[in-house]
Amino acid sequence: MANIAAKRIKREFKEVMKSEEVAGGSIKLELINDSWTELQGEIAGPPDTPYEGGTFLLEIKVPETYPFNPPKIRFMTKIWHPNVSSVTGAICLDILKDQWAAALTLRTVLLSIQALLSAAEPNDPQDAVVAKQYREDIRLFNLTASHWTNVYAGGPTVIWEFNQKVQVLIDMGIDEDQARVALSTFEWEIERATEHLFS
Amino acid sequence: MSAESDMEYSDNDGDDYDYYGEQDDCDMEAVDRTKSDPEYFLYTCLRVEEVEKLLNESIELLSNSLQITPSLAKVTLHAYEWNAQEIINKYKENANEVLVYSRVKSRSPVLQASTSRSSCAVCANTPPMHKYSALACGHYFCNDCWAMHFEVQIMQGVSNTITCMAQDCELRAPEDFVLSHVTKPMLRERYQQFMFKDHVKSHPELRFCPGPNCQDCPKCQICIEKNGGCNHMQCGACRHDFCWVCLGDWKSHGSEYYECSRYKEDPNMSSDSQHAQAREALKKYLHYYERWENHARSLKLEEQTLASLKSRINQKVMAGEGTWIDWQYLWDSAKLLKRCRYTLQYTYPYAYYMENGPRKELFEYQQAQLEAEIENLSWKVERAETTDRGDLENQMDIAEKRRTTLLKDFLEFHTTTASSSKV
Repeated sequence: MANIAAKRIKREFKEVMKSEEVAGGSIKLELINDSWTELQGEIAGPPDTPYEGGTFLLEIKVPETYPFNPPKIRFMTKIWHPNVSSVTGAICLDILKDQWAAALTLRTVLLSIQALLSAAEPNDPQDAVVAKQYREDIRLFNLTASHWTNVYAGGPTVIWEFNQKVQVLIDMGIDEDQARVALSTFEWEIERATEHLFS
Repeated sequence: MSAESDMEYSDNDGDDYDYYGEQDDCDMEAVDRTKSDPEYFLYTCLRVEEVEKLLNESIELLSNSLQITPSLAKVTLHAYEWNAQEIINKYKENANEVLVYSRVKSRSPVLQASTSRSSCAVCANTPPMHKYSALACGHYFCNDCWAMHFEVQIMQGVSNTITCMAQDCELRAPEDFVLSHVTKPMLRERYQQFMFKDHVKSHPELRFCPGPNCQDCPKCQICIEKNGGCNHMQCGACRHDFCWVCLGDWKSHGSEYYECSRYKEDPNMSSDSQHAQAREALKKYLHYYERWENHARSLKLEEQTLASLKSRINQKVMAGEGTWIDWQYLWDSAKLLKRCRYTLQYTYPYAYYMENGPRKELFEYQQAQLEAEIENLSWKVERAETTDRGDLENQMDIAEKRRTTLLKDFLEFHTTTASSSKV
């Protein structure tokens, strides 16, 4: 790995460790290997959002040309959010693309991703289905996002109705994650979701 | 009908009819192109040197009248879409506003330089004070980091719009600042090439030529290069399959009747004037010439394919992946392709001199069949290692049969007369 990249990551790692956010438990950063090319981030779901109480893991890959190119980051924890792919976890955030600046750090990036959870940008979506729901039925979106946070990120809000519906599809022999995506996509209507899954 | 022959009618349309929606389609051609076709406009073709001269004139004008560096002049011209007069007027009114709008000066006051030079914010190193530099915004970074930043940006094709490395700073690095940090000749050259392209794109009166050899993908418009002999093209960006000769979708070439090779004579020609006939004759000549030349170029590229195939086979044999005999079919296919392409190339002069009639129709039919099969073969040879061997050999057989059929039907006549005259 390039000298500058390793040196930068080491310094940024220390910066995050000393930060007040780590002390307050709102972000975390761990090393995955000794060569400083892969890290794992962790952010807490911001308060007063459907993600509150959840813990979201992020995969961070540091390119050879870091910090002149942005780090590659995706959600490892499944999340229902207009700017994150519900399938791959890819994130649509300007500072991870063309608005990246070499002077930005992992700490600022993690905080920006956390901020994205409080303020979605439905007009610049990564997941068109989620974005459409966000724009057209914010109440159902919030419920769905809370449900996902509960199931995948350890959030506290249990929505029994959704759990039961997912169970109905599981009993039909459908994979749990697939069932949840289909139900979330088709406004939790079992008939439309199954029609989609079996078509 | 061609654009030229429309001019024959241009005397008649002083009346300014509104043809849209009122007349039959067949009358559309009688309308002046500038009125009937909103995309039609007059243009001149320029060579690269002429474009450079044109751009340099604007740069010089601006840098002389405002007493600024050519580098700065370029940034402002790019920002104001090459309207030098507008820049001069605005600059005299409010120079600061022009520089802020061009993103070479920040709106907010410049940072205190001394506070930001304890260590480089990008690499965390602490080089001596004189090894730092900054744009007008005062965000100081060490020179090594600037050099790396520019290298990464240039490699990604960015030139005019490279920004400062600080967060949320949108200031752009002018050419002289970039070049003072970039030392590698290859990078400097690349940078200047991209600058040139960017300038042409930002200039309201310049466009890149959409003609052959400057071709864009007909679907996604990205620039493409023909890197092999095959006329069945596939865009590297959007995977669109199309024909190099007519730029149409390749789908209409595969199963249906292939007729890019055939020249279609204008049926109304006999009623036209002598001038129109002369133009038609030139058009006919160019049709055949262009195709002849295209296949000549393809033939050259097939030679490269042949050479690279040979070295690949050698590599395989050296690596113990079979013997030369196992791979010889690849070599044979490339050689056959070359032979077919050669024949095809010279069918065009032959067709040009043929008289109209059923025999020419038959010839052009067979020529089209041959061409279609050759493009299929060429496509498969270029992807030889991923194509099934049986499939490839089958294609070789088809192409060779088409070639010999065509030659038998049309070449035999000459050879027999030639040999009989010898006797």
